[in-house]
Amino acid sequence: MLNKLEEIKKNLQSDIKAVITLKDAEQLKVKYLGRKGIIGDVMKIIPALPEEQRAPFGQQINSLKASITHEIEDIIKKLSAGEIQKFKSEMFDVTLPGKHTSIGKRHPLTQTISDIREVFARLGFDVAYGPEVELEYYNFEALNIPTDHPSRTDFDTFYIKNDVLLRSQTSTVQIRIMEKQKPPIRIIAPGRVYRPDTVDARHSFMFHQVEGLLVDEGISFADLKGVLNQFIKTYFGQDVQMRFRPSFFPFTEPSAEVDISCSLCGGKGCSVCSYSGWVEILGAGMVDPNVFRYVHYDAERYAGFAFGMGVERITMLKYGISDIRLFYENDIRFLSQF
Amino acid sequence: MKISYNWLKEYVHFYLSPQELADRLTSVGLVVAGIQSVEDDFCLEVEVTSNRPDCLGIIGIAREVAAAAGGTLHLPEIHFQDTNSEIKNFIDIAVEEPMLCPHYTARIVRHVMVEPSPEWMQKRLKCMGLRPVNNIVDVTNYVMIETGQPIHAFDLDKISDQRIIVRKASNGEEIVVINGARRVLFPDMLVIADGKRPIAIAGIMGGKETEVSESTRNILLECAQFDPGRVRRTSKVLGIASDSSYRFERGIDPEAINYVSQRAIKLMKECADGEIIDGIIDVRSGRFMPRRVTLRIEQLHKVMGVEIEKAEAVDILKRLQFHILSDGGTFVHVEVPSFRGDIYREIDLIEEVARIYGYHNIPTRTSICIRGSTKSKCEIVEDSILQFLNGLGFYEVKTFSIVDTSALQAINLWSDKESIDIANPLRQEESRLRTCLLPNLIRSKIYNMHHGVERVKIFEISKVYLAGDKLPQEKTCLSFIADGDFYSTKGIVESLLLSLGIFSKCEWKLFHEPKLFHEERTAVIFLDNKVLGYLGEASKELRFKTLSCLLELDMDLLIEKSNFSKKYQNLPQYPPVLRDLAIIVDEEVTWASIERCIIDTKVLSLKEINFFDIYRGKQIPTGKKSVAFNLFFQADDRTLRSEDVDIFQRDIMDNLQKTLGAELRKL
Repeated sequence: MLNKLEEIKKNLQSDIKAVITLKDAEQLKVKYLGRKGIIGDVMKIIPALPEEQRAPFGQQINSLKASITHEIEDIIKKLSAGEIQKFKSEMFDVTLPGKHTSIGKRHPLTQTISDIREVFARLGFDVAYGPEVELEYYNFEALNIPTDHPSRTDFDTFYIKNDVLLRSQTSTVQIRIMEKQKPPIRIIAPGRVYRPDTVDARHSFMFHQVEGLLVDEGISFADLKGVLNQFIKTYFGQDVQMRFRPSFFPFTEPSAEVDISCSLCGGKGCSVCSYSGWVEILGAGMVDPNVFRYVHYDAERYAGFAFGMGVERITMLKYGISDIRLFYENDIRFLSQF
Repeated sequence: MKISYNWLKEYVHFYLSPQELADRLTSVGLVVAGIQSVEDDFCLEVEVTSNRPDCLGIIGIAREVAAAAGGTLHLPEIHFQDTNSEIKNFIDIAVEEPMLCPHYTARIVRHVMVEPSPEWMQKRLKCMGLRPVNNIVDVTNYVMIETGQPIHAFDLDKISDQRIIVRKASNGEEIVVINGARRVLFPDMLVIADGKRPIAIAGIMGGKETEVSESTRNILLECAQFDPGRVRRTSKVLGIASDSSYRFERGIDPEAINYVSQRAIKLMKECADGEIIDGIIDVRSGRFMPRRVTLRIEQLHKVMGVEIEKAEAVDILKRLQFHILSDGGTFVHVEVPSFRGDIYREIDLIEEVARIYGYHNIPTRTSICIRGSTKSKCEIVEDSILQFLNGLGFYEVKTFSIVDTSALQAINLWSDKESIDIANPLRQEESRLRTCLLPNLIRSKIYNMHHGVERVKIFEISKVYLAGDKLPQEKTCLSFIADGDFYSTKGIVESLLLSLGIFSKCEWKLFHEPKLFHEERTAVIFLDNKVLGYLGEASKELRFKTLSCLLELDMDLLIEKSNFSKKYQNLPQYPPVLRDLAIIVDEEVTWASIERCIIDTKVLSLKEINFFDIYRGKQIPTGKKSVAFNLFFQADDRTLRSEDVDIFQRDIMDNLQKTLGAELRKL
């Protein structure tokens, strides 16, 4: 039974340490000294004890009760007088910094691809992939880029051997998908591409593109504008303007380059947009009938559009990064910013 | 292509400021990248796409301006009449390769005074960034810029035997071209030769020996058409590119040759005070047949998604100099002008109409049908790995797939075959496709160490390239560098597998790859008897400052084995019983064999086996170790009594003793 009293003393000490407010102290008083309190409970044991133990145990309880009463009343007095800190042996400093668990970040390019993917997923586009080491056929011929054609210089290429190369564009995935699948088709294809450019602040021999392709019956250039407008507004912001300019790609006709109003200067002109107010972000167009011929689609029945964008470029624009090499240096001080 | 604002104004009537002109050109597909003011003129830098060689001359741009802005065209007029063929007395021309040179013309102007060209001409050339040379050379440049057709002037008196032969080069023939470069020619290259030697590389550059100099008195003017493919290949092989080859590669207007030749010879006479020899030598194989193309108005509406009026389409085509053959009913039938080699199909006409109509006038439609999209397993796995590792403090990195040929990069954990080299690398540093992700991760780690970040946890999900049949095998891998010891990192891998719903046990075996990994603390991991990957503490050779672990996993296998389908299991009804055990076994006995042995005892109520400690020390005999673990028993149909569990435990101990010679350690 004496153990029981020791335990009560011990618990009391830790309970007292936890007291912060006056209310805590009042509750503590009820817990120990109240009608159904701990002391009261122990008292109830007395009648069950052998005769000779009752008196000494009773005395001990009484002395414990007195000491508890004294301690709690003391705290209540001090708390009422606003002397909180005085009775606490250690101050609990809530202003100390928290203990950090370090968390990592996605690479900004992964983040961009994932954001782009998210927007297009809502428009019903699935993700497709294709090989990076490709047959010349998929990188050029089937995309209506004949051998010895000047447009090939626009896609300078690393070769592995004769007809095997490192893809210079993700448009290769268009052909691979259309070969396997009949319309309707709605895909985006993110991935790495390679071009033998000397590395500088704006060029890298490896970079990322996201290609898009939609083929169905009754698809027009107006739908292309609609889909890309949705993308641009969602990704860059509702107040960003879009501009379509005629351009040339061998695998689309009519072809367009798409600009957005420069977010940095709001279209007024700055060094990022070369003082034009516009920055180019993607290339697009209606799938050229010749491309459909390579994959045995009926160009009279089906129409489609394709678009492609550079992931590095879009990421650089979005975050104001001026040097493409930062993406591949993997400096944690860079990566931790995104 | 640079153009002069004032020069352009001579050929087309418009009221646009340089900036307005630039905007208008940009809107029809000729992007103006910059405007510079040069004295009293402006130079516009126009980007001409490779399908529009007709715009590589001022006249071509003027045609576009006329179509886009509605102004009238007035091209330089030439009143020129050849009365006889006196020229035949001066030169004889033979074209041996009509396929590579379908059209060759020559004219002669005599008794010229070679001197600086007139100031107005010099000014224009300078505005376009060209250096004036002399009146004859300047006229050839001027006319090329004006018309887009390259021409060349030879010093007639330096042409041997009064002959010009357009032929293939003989093997080993050499030429020194006007920029001073000497080149050995190959037999598939087309040259302009005289009686003795090549005097020009056809369409690319003239020879030094026959170039026009101050002492030149008589000029032979070449104006011809060469095969674009051959010019391109020759230019590439010889490493000589010029304004001329640039245009011939893209194709010139086959019907403009005589006009250009007349324009040039007239300017030469004017600028150099010469005497034009009557006549032209004109060697032409075949005739130009203009293409005829039909545009269905309905198709125009279908492709563009807007009802452009037929009258408007016809008007646009007319302004672009298409000859309307008929426009009855729902069709427009046109003849394509000779300078538009890019147009041969209906879709080409649709694009022409659309770009002049204005892309901004085409509606932005949002009525495509709805369609659901589902994430592929591959995306789900990648996303959840990214989340998992980010949460543990790993940064994702991206490194190059093309690497150097060093010993570190040569490590191939996945295949015994040769790695794949790039045939035309830019530098040795980027000449081979990687076979392992770890070397690049190691470099990134060291890079960060050098920049003051010691403890860095990084990972990459990317491809390695292994020799295959026609195309290489592209294997997606997950690699990381962690900052703990083997076991803490193994824990990460095990949790990762569980997070992907992979519950089958992996088999871990010692592995040796000392360039990357610690000599002993390295394992190869098997999942369902396939190699899942490799995990080990970093090799001392890598000289990391803190204890690190390297991992490379087969991501494709992870994706295959991942399983995200879930089914609810009833919660246990009866309480579990936990027993701690410590056994003494020989040093060689692995945990895997202890675990196997316990499982093989086939105690149905045994739900979990959890290792917690290994102890070697005072109370343990040498050559032995104490292995401590707990066993978690739970029955599905009743509360286990202590006596039941005693029996299970005894069975398990008996089996451990029998199979592995294990003894229960008395605590």
